[in-house]
Amino acid sequence: MSEPNGKKEFANNLLAQDPPSADKQLQHKEVILKKIERSMRLQKAVIIAIYTALFLVAFGAFNLRKCTDNVVHSFCWGIVSLHIVLWSLVYFLRGICMNMEELIEKRLGNDERRRNKNQNLFLTIWAIFVFVLSTWFLYRSFFLTDSLKAAQKAVSILWAVIFFLLFYPFRTASLIGMLWFEYKKMELNIPKSEEQNLKSQTE
Amino acid sequence: MEQDKLSNAILVLSCQRRDESAFRELVNRWEPRLYYYLRRIVENENDVWDVLQETWLAVFQNIRKLQDPLKFPTWLYQISHNKAVSLLRKENRYTQMTVEKEADYCESNTTISAVKEQAELVHKALEKLKLAHREVLTLHFLEGFSVREMARVIGISEGTAKSRLYYAKNELQKALKGANHV
Repeated sequence: MSEPNGKKEFANNLLAQDPPSADKQLQHKEVILKKIERSMRLQKAVIIAIYTALFLVAFGAFNLRKCTDNVVHSFCWGIVSLHIVLWSLVYFLRGICMNMEELIEKRLGNDERRRNKNQNLFLTIWAIFVFVLSTWFLYRSFFLTDSLKAAQKAVSILWAVIFFLLFYPFRTASLIGMLWFEYKKMELNIPKSEEQNLKSQTE
Repeated sequence: MEQDKLSNAILVLSCQRRDESAFRELVNRWEPRLYYYLRRIVENENDVWDVLQETWLAVFQNIRKLQDPLKFPTWLYQISHNKAVSLLRKENRYTQMTVEKEADYCESNTTISAVKEQAELVHKALEKLKLAHREVLTLHFLEGFSVREMARVIGISEGTAKSRLYYAKNELQKALKGANHV
């Protein structure tokens, strides 16, 4: 026990030989924290700008449906607006899910971590593929002449996004459950390790 | 010691969740050590503050990529080492960081533990050593890093780190003896 304490004391003594001046330290900290605050604000502003732009584009598409006499076009523009809003929602939910995964990842083994990574990559590629495909179908439905057929096709396109809209919240919920479970496990383990420490100290 | 590590890891986890107060606490906790370490590498004090600033910004931007929060000290020193070296390279002052041959490492008889009580003497003796030796000894005394951790921070092989530490200890001993004779 005395060895680590001695080392710590020595390190502290060594630090005391060349301490930073208090003024400069304070000044430096202020600059650093300001820069960090600015970068955090910038990140938030970029995210807000992206979502606002997406919402405006979707709203624009929704408004376009009123500007046309063609029933098929009118219907398709409505679906385009929903398509944009729902996919941006999927992206948002995916972000929350990834954040949760980052938290739980630290408690996982290497194999499990790799499996999760592969699964996420697969899902992301699959989501991009589905998005591109449904956008292509939506584009094609603009050229249909039969309004009933166009309605059927356009609505079926929206079903593709539903899978991801359901998947990510469920995945996030299960990750929260896993985190809670890990937390409880830690709570149970801490008193044990403390007991062991006490035992080893007395021995 | 273990409690320190744990509370550090908790702070790192909070920083990864973008908790500003945790970051502030982390800066408070590590700044004096980093300052001392960088002062042993970079001579100019203003440069030290610049490197420190760059280091903390890099830490804030990349802390989410750190998988194991317990490895934060090694990671932090690694970043500051890289920043300091790139500054020295810019100014063509990074000419050495000598490449020692990997010597057969045998435990030095140097009674470093006896020297530990004389922080002031060690601090002065460090100034007389080569940059490479000064760096490993600072990491050794300040953080008690293992050879593997040192190698990771400096970006050299474990064998080189081991021999560098060995030679550095010998050099320090000589410098301390010289100081005692004076």
